[in-house]
Amino acid sequence: MEFGSIEREVYVEASPEVVFEVVSSPDHLKQWWPDDARYDPTPGSTGEITFGDPEAGGGVVSFAVVDARPPRMFSFRWTHPAGEVPAEGNSLLVTFDLTPSGDGTLLRMTETGFREMGWEAAVLEERYREHVHGWDFFLPRLAPYVATLGVRP
Amino acid sequence: MTSAVDDDLWSAVGDPTRRRMLDLLLVEGEGTATTLSRQMPVTRQAVAKHLAVLDRVGLVRATPAGRERRYRVDDAQLSRAVAQLSAVGAAWDARLQRIKQIAEAIQRTRQH
Repeated sequence: MEFGSIEREVYVEASPEVVFEVVSSPDHLKQWWPDDARYDPTPGSTGEITFGDPEAGGGVVSFAVVDARPPRMFSFRWTHPAGEVPAEGNSLLVTFDLTPSGDGTLLRMTETGFREMGWEAAVLEERYREHVHGWDFFLPRLAPYVATLGVRP
Repeated sequence: MTSAVDDDLWSAVGDPTRRRMLDLLLVEGEGTATTLSRQMPVTRQAVAKHLAVLDRVGLVRATPAGRERRYRVDDAQLSRAVAQLSAVGAAWDARLQRIKQIAEAIQRTRQH
């Protein structure tokens, strides 16, 4: 059993083919996540995603495609140290599962690997689920409060 | 994001009872183990233990108040904790909303 995972689900009014494109192609990835993405969306391909301007304190993060089965599934690992082979223990694994539903697609996202990366609090799955549900309640209340503080994280 | 401090912070805020206590402290500005335990289904001793955990990671600060200690939320550390928690869980909510918008926009273009 995999402990320490984040799971999210969203219904998209678009075909699985379209949704697959959006979650897997580097050009689309840039629109919903990093500022730049360089990889080939095929299994085993490695590359990187970039946040901000690397010349000005931005970050370049390793990215490796694990599996790609259009239009049903796309998975990748990220955050492994540059030059290391991505595997359990040195990276987070993100999996998108796409299920046709009505005229659209049910998109399920799972991110795992927190325990392996030392996120001790996520050791017990039950407790972790509580965290996620708790944050759904907690964060919306806290964010506006924190915004008023003017304190840099 | 994986330093020992971060793990402790994650763990401290991960507990629902402690989140409720932070909530109460934010609303009321300050509190002691006694005042908090009156508003929660746990004993004063349990509240004191939870406060010690929050204190250890810097989420609350204590000042002596008679026989007790009076606690306030540490704004800077709370802000840091929230940023970290957001970075993991809520960030995916935002990303998925963008995926949804992009895919639905493409779908509409193809239908017309």
